[in-house]
Amino acid sequence: MGGDSKYLGLWYVAPYVIGLLLFTAFPFIASFYLSFTDYDLLSKPEWTGLDNYQKLFTRDRTFDKSLKVTLVYVFMTVPLKLAFALFIAVILNYRLRAIGLFRTAFYVPSILGGSIAIAVLWRYIFADTGLVNMMLEGIGLEGVNWFGDPENALFTISLLRCWQFGSAMVIFLAALQSVDKSLYEAASIDGANKWQLFRYITLPLITPVIFFNLIMQTVQAFQEFNGPYIITEGGPLKSTYLLPLYIYDKAFKSFDMGYASAIAWVLFVIIMVLTLIAFWSSKKWVYYAGDKRS
Amino acid sequence: MTHMKTLLGVALTSTILAGSATADELRMSWWGGDSRHAATQAGLEACGAKHGHTISPEFTGWSGHFEKVVTQVAGGTEADIMQINWPWLPILSADGTGFADMNQLSDTIDLSSWDAAQIDAGTMNGALNGLSVSTTGRLFVFNPGTYAKAGLEVPTTWDELMAAGPVFRDQLGEDFYPFEAAGLDAALIVTLYGTQKTGKPLIDPATNTVLWTKEELVDAIEMYQAMVDAHVIEAWRDRAAAGNVALHENPRWSRGEIAGTYQWDSTYFKVSDPLDEGQEIVYTGILSQDGQQTEGIYRKSSMVFSISANSDNPQAAAEVLNCLLNEPEGVSAMGTARGVPSSSAAKALLSDAGAIAPEQSAAQQLVLDAEGPAIHPFMEHPDVRSAMSDNLELFAYGEIDAETAADDMLYGINEALEDIK
Repeated sequence: MGGDSKYLGLWYVAPYVIGLLLFTAFPFIASFYLSFTDYDLLSKPEWTGLDNYQKLFTRDRTFDKSLKVTLVYVFMTVPLKLAFALFIAVILNYRLRAIGLFRTAFYVPSILGGSIAIAVLWRYIFADTGLVNMMLEGIGLEGVNWFGDPENALFTISLLRCWQFGSAMVIFLAALQSVDKSLYEAASIDGANKWQLFRYITLPLITPVIFFNLIMQTVQAFQEFNGPYIITEGGPLKSTYLLPLYIYDKAFKSFDMGYASAIAWVLFVIIMVLTLIAFWSSKKWVYYAGDKRS
Repeated sequence: MTHMKTLLGVALTSTILAGSATADELRMSWWGGDSRHAATQAGLEACGAKHGHTISPEFTGWSGHFEKVVTQVAGGTEADIMQINWPWLPILSADGTGFADMNQLSDTIDLSSWDAAQIDAGTMNGALNGLSVSTTGRLFVFNPGTYAKAGLEVPTTWDELMAAGPVFRDQLGEDFYPFEAAGLDAALIVTLYGTQKTGKPLIDPATNTVLWTKEELVDAIEMYQAMVDAHVIEAWRDRAAAGNVALHENPRWSRGEIAGTYQWDSTYFKVSDPLDEGQEIVYTGILSQDGQQTEGIYRKSSMVFSISANSDNPQAAAEVLNCLLNEPEGVSAMGTARGVPSSSAAKALLSDAGAIAPEQSAAQQLVLDAEGPAIHPFMEHPDVRSAMSDNLELFAYGEIDAETAADDMLYGINEALEDIK
């Protein structure tokens, strides 16, 4: 390698660094600048100071509605998904016959992900004449208007996100398997039942992973786009009009890139504040190995 | 290290060369359904072979195509030849510089195939930015088979349509409707009804102002609710139960349970292809009402073909465009996948070959024969549409009354027009 060796590492990381600068850092900074401008994509941005933010917080009823919908979606989806992922992980942690097959089967939805095809599939499953209503009617219940009723539409979109629980589940499963078995043996000898084993041993020991999943799932939920775009297009009555959809519409339908950038930055600040709150609160409920409290 | 530098140099050079177009490599983008995709690809092959060019097709459905084109134009990466919706022209090229001026390519493109009005419709600030591919208009479309089952003829007046609702419910059941309108279609039906009654377009193309009074708008909005109440159309809430599904993807349309709609005549194949065996549709004229001031036809260039202002090969693009719209090879391959052609040369070629379906020809004639006030291109501006559809939806769900809906529509449309200016 000789004298070249000190540059070789730079060559190796160059593609990633260039990609990061071009496709993440530059748009990130540019959007902050654009949020203070009036920019329609086709002509040069015009500096308008805080006008976009002022309009956002004082006159934009759609933003108010979209923000409320987004917060409801996040606070409904993330706990539901984490609880479900942990529940399945606990089951798959048992030594069952063909457990490998079950683990694979439960992970499959995450491979399929939140793709367009799956969103279309979801639309058919929950349509008025879809599979879910057919099953409900098959057992004598009345079909539900999943998409047309504003009270149900957001929940249906939320279920799509929850269905993709596989990646969180795999992380939970790895954490469950790393819990020292001798702790369970000791507690069992002391008379602890299964719930007590889970509540007082498993749960505290996997709190770092719960915390990690909480942050990741919260950030992803705030960025949800495919589901509502394909399934309901934000309706009915904007009951599924999440902020990413509003950003998209403002940017690519109204060509108001400056305003869209301002919304994106407000969304970023909301995510950042919630993440900071989560980090602050983690001191009280997350236990790391070697921690004096553990 | 020398080898590494050489390798990197070769790789970079290869990448640059691979990304650059030779003189006859072109791209063409459009939206449409399967029949249009197949026909256009066949046309590009035929015209490419004739003129010695290679044209890469880039096609999508309608949804999202506008956003894609705008982003590409903004980034200067748009296709050499583009299918552009006519109302997009003032958005993308208000000063005439957004697309190539095809007057400058008139040696290659035979502009005599279009009349002065068609050329004028595609001209922005003196530059010919778009050549009309076909003229289209919204017509009523009915399923005569379902109407016959209900013991009815297809309606010709609003009164007959309104009377069909209860008959459908009684004779065929709750799931059968003589018509459908939700979302944009509902907004257009409201607009049509008001236009017929007032004789005025909602937005004046000459002054960019709203011409309807609040009372006129309230009257049109209430017509929508009257249709729901009379079982003529499904309630918005029930229609939304299928999710974000277009009419032609709705199995109830295919089965004939929904027996009427208000569609572009150029979408004949899109709405007729999915019909189940035994089902058929007919395009009729515009429903009339007592005391109407105008038929109120919503007619416009269905789309135009444009050449990119950034094209490296505008001459080659012009050759292909002329072939697709005027020359036998392109015209016969393209057929009527975009409706009956505006180009007189193409129309004559297809007519002589018997390639225009009688239904299409009849529908086109209905569009051309009908009269109505000029349409403002901003009627299809996303913010104007949003002001109409969002408030109509709130009204349909019972969240606001007709007066509030009218107030909010007028406010939204005026604000949008102000922003557009």
